[in-house]
Amino acid sequence: MISQLTKTEREIALLLTILLAISGSILGLMGRGDLLGYHGALLAIAGYALTFVLIKDHFDPEPGPKRIEKYYDDPIKVGIVLAIFWVVIGTFVGDWVAWLLVFPDATFDAGWASFGRLRPVHTSGVIFGFGGNALIATSFHVVQRTTRARLADRVSPWVVIVGFNLFCLMAASGYLMGITASKEYAEPEWYADIFLTIIWVVYFVLYMRTLARREEPHIYVANWYFLAFIIVVAILHILNNLAVPVSFGHAKSYSLFSGVQDAMLQWWYGHNAVAFFLTAGFLGMLYYYLPKRAGRPIFSYRLSIISFWGIVFLYMWAGSHHLHYTALPHWVQTLGMTFSIMLLVPSWASAGNALMTLNGAWGKVRDDATLRFMMVAAVFYGLSTFEGSFMAIRPVNSLSHYTDWTVGHVHAGALGWVAMITFGAIYTLTPWLWNKERMYSNKLIEVHFWLALIGTMIYVFAMWNSGIIQGLMWRAYNENGTLAYSFIESVAAMKPYYVARAIGGFLFFLGAVVCAYNVWKTIQLPAVAAKNPDKPPLPARGSPTALSAAE
Amino acid sequence: MTFDHQTLAAIAKSYGLIYMMIVFVGSVIYACWPSNQSKFDRAAKSILREDDE
Amino acid sequence: MLKNHAKLERTAIGFAFAIMLVASIGGFIEIAPLFTISETVEDAPDMRVYTPLELAGRNIYVREGCYACHSQMVRTLQDEVERYGHYSLAVESKYDHPMLWGSKRTGPDLARLGDKYSDEWHVAHLLNPRAVSPQSVMPAYRWLLRNELKANDMPLHLRAMRKVGVPYTDAMIANATADTYGQANPDSGAADGFFERYGFDSNSRYFDGDKRKVTEMDALVAYLQILGELTDAADQTAGAANLENDAEGATQ
Repeated sequence: MISQLTKTEREIALLLTILLAISGSILGLMGRGDLLGYHGALLAIAGYALTFVLIKDHFDPEPGPKRIEKYYDDPIKVGIVLAIFWVVIGTFVGDWVAWLLVFPDATFDAGWASFGRLRPVHTSGVIFGFGGNALIATSFHVVQRTTRARLADRVSPWVVIVGFNLFCLMAASGYLMGITASKEYAEPEWYADIFLTIIWVVYFVLYMRTLARREEPHIYVANWYFLAFIIVVAILHILNNLAVPVSFGHAKSYSLFSGVQDAMLQWWYGHNAVAFFLTAGFLGMLYYYLPKRAGRPIFSYRLSIISFWGIVFLYMWAGSHHLHYTALPHWVQTLGMTFSIMLLVPSWASAGNALMTLNGAWGKVRDDATLRFMMVAAVFYGLSTFEGSFMAIRPVNSLSHYTDWTVGHVHAGALGWVAMITFGAIYTLTPWLWNKERMYSNKLIEVHFWLALIGTMIYVFAMWNSGIIQGLMWRAYNENGTLAYSFIESVAAMKPYYVARAIGGFLFFLGAVVCAYNVWKTIQLPAVAAKNPDKPPLPARGSPTALSAAE
Repeated sequence: MTFDHQTLAAIAKSYGLIYMMIVFVGSVIYACWPSNQSKFDRAAKSILREDDE
Repeated sequence: MLKNHAKLERTAIGFAFAIMLVASIGGFIEIAPLFTISETVEDAPDMRVYTPLELAGRNIYVREGCYACHSQMVRTLQDEVERYGHYSLAVESKYDHPMLWGSKRTGPDLARLGDKYSDEWHVAHLLNPRAVSPQSVMPAYRWLLRNELKANDMPLHLRAMRKVGVPYTDAMIANATADTYGQANPDSGAADGFFERYGFDSNSRYFDGDKRKVTEMDALVAYLQILGELTDAADQTAGAANLENDAEGATQ
């Protein structure tokens, strides 16, 4: 892992891991009477372990001068492997909680195994663990290839990857112990939030520095989306997590805002997390890997620019559609609804752009499951953005809100769009990164594709059904003018759909396992010889002397 | 606080709209500006060059 | 070469600023008015704060992730009002840091749960939901009755809540630990002056039915029993209710 680092870089890394070990120890000591102590210990152990590795390998031979002629891909490899690790864990826990709604007594009488604590492990595991690692890894890959420049330095990519995964570990383990701020998709507590903020600033600086080194004058549009993802997620994260801790020795904190402001801020965050984490970042992925895999340039570059600014601008206003008919002022609800409907324009522009890119390459789509993953992702993106705009309309929302329809909608987006585009990117990227001719087995990609597609379909259809039935039962009146069903009758009516959903989720989880196996076997394949060993992939930057001075 | 709720809401409803129009028109002009077209074409094709996998 | 590079660098930074600007102005314009919303929110002079025991119960509600399946926000829809009670007012969650409006009803809304069922019902339900409601899919929370409530740091909790704007008095903070135990153990006399501090209609009893110790169950049930009961504001506006009909989704 550190063979590519120079002596100075190893020393900087060592300093950082020691710092991590010390701050972890301090946090652990301050929180020794509280659950916080465990997370202090976690950071400290990680810090000491990394310090040990760095000291052990400190005197390994330094990399040769040729290193700067190549892209720096080691952290990307680790990021991809971690993304696959998290998707297996995250979908497993997701399916587990789905079965808990069928067999509610399967909790071993233990707090950690109850629905309320496991659910955020699922959501954070797939959104941050899987999605986050995939975004970080692909953004490092895309930014280097599209700028034809090496990552700006060799230590900070590791800070981002390692730090981000420590954050994910703190999040997941915290929920099991009962540490949560209760804000959906922003559940980690104050110290984890501060930690992530630092990591995110490092990520931003690294990305900007790499862009600044570019050899291409124009910044390719995929980077715009990645950059918007990095910047806006930082803004959202900081604002929504403002809180006052009980003390520096307590994990618990109290949100700075209350009631209606807190709700507005939370769903402004919640919806924009969908926009900038689950949409913008993955569109960046789409705008690079889809044209690359199809061997055709993006259908309309112009359209991709217009839809970029449309998404950046419009999403920010749409969050209040999560709060229709609540105590939020009426005009804010109307504003959220209006902008949500307008959002359909840039969303469909992106989806259409992706599909038009494939127009003329349908033969490839038919034969290549990897490309098919990306095509299906674009289709699901179009479908779920349409559904989202539809559900943001107040009367529709009066039926759909609080029901499983929302869950179905989210999974149409998360399974159908986010996960599919990521699997497409992973299958494209893995052979390149590990220098193999192709993936270990195309058949297994095909198997994965059908497991994922069928699993998603079962899931989404089950939740559409259950959600609409639920919504209709809640508002049904009998001829006497009183409510026709008690709440528990609507719960009982969900049972078959909950079973179907859990089966669909299981198929999707199986697909993720197949992907993990396939990637694992691919890494073990013999490497192919570089096509052109004498020609370095990177253009020379200035004169050789200037180079070594700069490095 | 010199801004009361009415003022802020009014700003959101009026200038917010103008601001949105400006961003939209601005991005369309940028995307369709004739001298940018060759740049965009080059960018769209640049990722397909063989040497960077 | 170097000059050229500086220009490239500026483009990237300018670009990052443009994203920041476009995104944050949108967010700001929408959110800023909400921070002056107190001017438009109903007034509730009778609103009381959570007692330390109720706050501890609320923290358990958060810890166990109850909000993932239960909302606390009755919408202004006819059927919801008939099912759950008066629609929620903004003022009713003004001391909720964070709010627990929720986003999903795998179980029913809880905004007006307080005083709807007896303490015994709640304890039985939390110990085994299917004993009182055979078709329920809620997990059992038996450990709540096993775990003794830790309350020695309640003054710190109240102080943090005061920092974010909840009007806890010095006396409330000073007596927070005693009040926690005393509220769930009325015969102990631990909570001397409890009713003076939190109002004479607050509850003090053996919530979990166990007189020997104060458990997490005590705290959670105490919290569940005051949901929707912190103010009478909703009852006072009942006459002016302007509900929306589901079918039309109409206007206000």
